[in-house]
Amino acid sequence: MGTGHQAGPAQWAAAIAMAGAVAAYLAAAARLRRRGDAWPWLRDLSFTTGGTAVATAAAAQLPGGQFTSHMLQHLLVGMAGPLLLVLARPVTLVLRVLPPGRTRRTLLAVVQSRLAAVLVCPPVAALIDFGGLWMMYRTPLLAATHDRPWVHALLHLRVFAAGMLFTTALCRLDPMRHRYSLALRAGTLVVASAAHAVLAKSLWASPPPGLVFPAADLRTGALLMYYGGDLVEVGLALVIVLGWYAETGRSLSRERRRMDAVPG
Amino acid sequence: MSVRSDRSLWAGVLLGVGASAFADEAVFHRLLRWHRFYDESASGIGLVSDGLFHAFGWFATVFGLAAVADAARRGVLRGRVLGGGVLLGGGAFQLYDGIVHHKLLRLHQSRYGVDISPYDWTWNAVAALMLVAGCWLLLPALRRPGGAS
Repeated sequence: MGTGHQAGPAQWAAAIAMAGAVAAYLAAAARLRRRGDAWPWLRDLSFTTGGTAVATAAAAQLPGGQFTSHMLQHLLVGMAGPLLLVLARPVTLVLRVLPPGRTRRTLLAVVQSRLAAVLVCPPVAALIDFGGLWMMYRTPLLAATHDRPWVHALLHLRVFAAGMLFTTALCRLDPMRHRYSLALRAGTLVVASAAHAVLAKSLWASPPPGLVFPAADLRTGALLMYYGGDLVEVGLALVIVLGWYAETGRSLSRERRRMDAVPG
Repeated sequence: MSVRSDRSLWAGVLLGVGASAFADEAVFHRLLRWHRFYDESASGIGLVSDGLFHAFGWFATVFGLAAVADAARRGVLRGRVLGGGVLLGGGAFQLYDGIVHHKLLRLHQSRYGVDISPYDWTWNAVAALMLVAGCWLLLPALRRPGGAS
């Protein structure tokens, strides 16, 4: 499949871009702290770990057979990496660190645009992410990129971008135009996770069209996709549910204060 | 049943579904290896149903734990109702898994290479017992519509 084995210029470009993003994030967080703002260190750690995971997946030789290492790469680039990056709230950081002016206004306009609101609507983001995933594994698309490293790199860029979009939509941590409800985000997570699990099971039985792998490699890869996906999806569930818990707690204490204020 | 008991009940049902799904995955799929990851006779709809319950099981576990914590901070957590909910949720999931997944949709069998009828009967009888025990635990709360106990 030509991935994870010999890193070409496309893979190195992706790894260097990710390293640059991590450096920029750390510099921005340091600047915030110097001026006296609070910015949890855990977010620096989360972004650095996520960025390292994505960069490693892009450029390093991953263990396992061809399909297994491809699946590990897919998990890191499309699921685990995006979760760690999104948890660090990069958009919030950039908006806080940028001085008032044209750049900041433009970024804010993009984040709060109608198009962004549609894209981060959970079912839309899920369709883009998991629809693309089904297309990659259940059409001859993956086989077609076999000998074209740049096209293959683009495919992985799409996996990364769609993973970021889906994670952003579900976690709802960075500022957005519209705040989608708990039920919509939870329901989308369950349906999308089911689609991921079904695809993993189907890959266990038959490889992507036009590609041949040893049975053991294919099965290990499918198991990795199934249980690795679970791990990240539990992480997403935790983010959604802890958000709900904190929000409910805030409205609960507001209610109690109101009750206390009313005499009798 | 009052809203007060509902919080404990629903937290319990979610936890029960989650625990049952987790036990199925961890014990019967991974540790004992009685269940198979993939069975050639599984239908498409079977795989979809399995995927949905698998995904919902994880979410139910996480949300159920938070719901228990939420009921506790509101001071409305009742152990007996919670336990009843856990048994109802767990029993319902296991019965669905045993009858719809294993038998109707032929997703995979409860065990391979042996006469499976005792396994199937035990599987579903345990599920039915859990449902009965859950109902028994919930009886006092059901009898008193006020939900005070």
